Amino acid sequence: MSNNNWIDGLNIPGKPDEWEVKELFKAYSIETPKGILLKPGMEFKGTELEQPLVVKVCDSKILHKSDIGGVKLNVKKDFGKVIAEMNHSFPESNLLIEEMVPYSGLEFIIGALVDPDFGPALMVGAGGILTELYKDVTFRLAPISKMEALRMLNELTVSEVLTGYRGSKMDISALADLIVSVGTLITELGSSFNQLDINPVVFSDGKWVALDGMSILNL
Amino acid sequence: MSITEDLKPLFYPESVAVIGASSNPGKVGNIILGVLKKTVKNLYPVHPKAEEILGLKVFNKIEDLPDNISMAVVTISASQTVEAVRSCAEKGIQIIVIVSGGFGEIGGEGTALEKELVSIHKEYGIRLLGPNSLGIFLPETGFDTIFVEHGDKALSGGGGIAFITQSGSVGTEALGLASNAGFGMRAFVGVGNKVDLTETDFLNYFAEDKETNCIAFYSESIDDGKIFLEKAREVSKKKAIVILKAGRTEAGQSAVSSHTGKLAGSDKVVSGAFRQYGIQRAYDEEEICDASKSLSMLPIPDGNKVAVITAAGGYGVMCTDYIEQKDAGIKLHLAKFSEKTTKKLNEINLSFASTKNPVDITASAGDEIYVDTLEAVLKDEGVDIVICLTFFTPPAITNDLVKKISNKALEFNKPVITFAQYGPYTNKYLKEFYDLGMVGFSSVYRTVRAARFLVERSDILKTFGEDNE
Repeated sequence: MSNNNWIDGLNIPGKPDEWEVKELFKAYSIETPKGILLKPGMEFKGTELEQPLVVKVCDSKILHKSDIGGVKLNVKKDFGKVIAEMNHSFPESNLLIEEMVPYSGLEFIIGALVDPDFGPALMVGAGGILTELYKDVTFRLAPISKMEALRMLNELTVSEVLTGYRGSKMDISALADLIVSVGTLITELGSSFNQLDINPVVFSDGKWVALDGMSILNL
Repeated sequence: MSITEDLKPLFYPESVAVIGASSNPGKVGNIILGVLKKTVKNLYPVHPKAEEILGLKVFNKIEDLPDNISMAVVTISASQTVEAVRSCAEKGIQIIVIVSGGFGEIGGEGTALEKELVSIHKEYGIRLLGPNSLGIFLPETGFDTIFVEHGDKALSGGGGIAFITQSGSVGTEALGLASNAGFGMRAFVGVGNKVDLTETDFLNYFAEDKETNCIAFYSESIDDGKIFLEKAREVSKKKAIVILKAGRTEAGQSAVSSHTGKLAGSDKVVSGAFRQYGIQRAYDEEEICDASKSLSMLPIPDGNKVAVITAAGGYGVMCTDYIEQKDAGIKLHLAKFSEKTTKKLNEINLSFASTKNPVDITASAGDEIYVDTLEAVLKDEGVDIVICLTFFTPPAITNDLVKKISNKALEFNKPVITFAQYGPYTNKYLKEFYDLGMVGFSSVYRTVRAARFLVERSDILKTFGEDNE
């Protein structure tokens, strides 16, 4: 899949939904949870994915989906009921059904934007829903080397969780690789790129996984 | 033509025309002419009616000037400036310093006039500094176009710092203040509204200038951002670059929907980019002067282990707190002395002194104990930086301590930063240190902050090493 095909194929021009963003991630070897897209009227049998599941409304018109009941975690046998309720609340929207990724430890955020003076810039920091409270983030201009990505991580107040703080086991090198990949991604999107959030990024079973992603493009 | 050749008439003009010269004392055109008269042999005042100003023959029209003039300084109103600049270009003058204000900074009509200057530059290739620029001050020759007080006498000794400022007043006020305690200036450049010459041009120029070892900028906008940064990374391998970047840019309306956009909101992108490209950042006028003074004059340490010598316990405690401050970005640590150093310090010092770091030689110690202690800690391999807290009130301390500390410190290739406080005489002592080649500050906080700038510079140089591997 070339970036141009991806841009041209978006449901709403310039505003990819979460499924579409994650399709792009896959092209850059950025891990995402295993999942399927359920369009209105489509049926989910339950055998396609392993439980527990996450059911999310997948619609780029909806910004803060968890604030309006658009995310259900830890869904097991009652998936039929959950999907029916979600379809009822968001009749026009697709649903994204994913296997729930087990993880412990800190959530990270990786983001990018276009600075008016300096151009495309990358961010990494403490993520999750409280990311804007922590404000523990650092920026670099894209693209960057792995060495630079490691320096970014070492600058964070939370950097010690990546180097064994209180027994935490997280792969700092692989996280640096992921930041480099995001840098490549936004650089290759070129003038189409406007902004990107990958939040949270978590360490699960020896791999960094992008649990959620949003992006806005220039038209 | 190389930038060095291009800007030669700006720093070393053979002849200067002053457009808007005035016989009226207190007028800008009079002050500038008077200052230039001290150093410029071929000086040509231009005024429509006058015959003679300050004893110099006046030219009534730009067209009447002799050919091949290196530089013109323009001090007339914005509306008259455009035509004058065009006439100077027609006359073949190489470079113009436009002191006049009333251009882009006021918007509207001023912005339109500024655009005309841009098109004259493009049409004739004439180089323009400003408008709204204070111009140039070069202590080396005394060449000076600045019409406000700027510590020019105190700065006349020269030094290694090129100071390039978008705002004239930030530059002159900050340097005037810094000059009280000594500040080694290579050149002052006011870039003003930057219709032609920008930060990047002067970065290029001072990169090649052998006398410059530190380049400092006050900047509200960096026009060709990425080009400037790329060049800065190259220059930073050899010379320290410090920027006071004021005026926060909003990330743009569209970016506010993402966490990243909100988190960038202030100017974290600028900080990250500076770090990435080997630029050190200052946040106010005092900090940029302190940082550039330290980076220009002191050796760069190998590491971040600091030894402190004090004759006053309280200041030692305060200094330790600042050194160990965890959230200061660049980390410093108190050095742990070797057994050999500890033994030596115990021999040198009075029985009731504290010979652990910070070393408290006590108010009973004299010059000799101070200097021997300094030598002992400088010799310790575990010490990268020494902070000397000096006091001149203890009875056994004499005024010679300044000289003795300086002589000892300069025997070693490690940075020694002094702190001095002596009430109203503080600046006098700091200036004495400066004249002997030392860097000193009047507060413990500024002293420790200077150490952080040195360690940051050391880290930048190590980073360049890593990236080459």
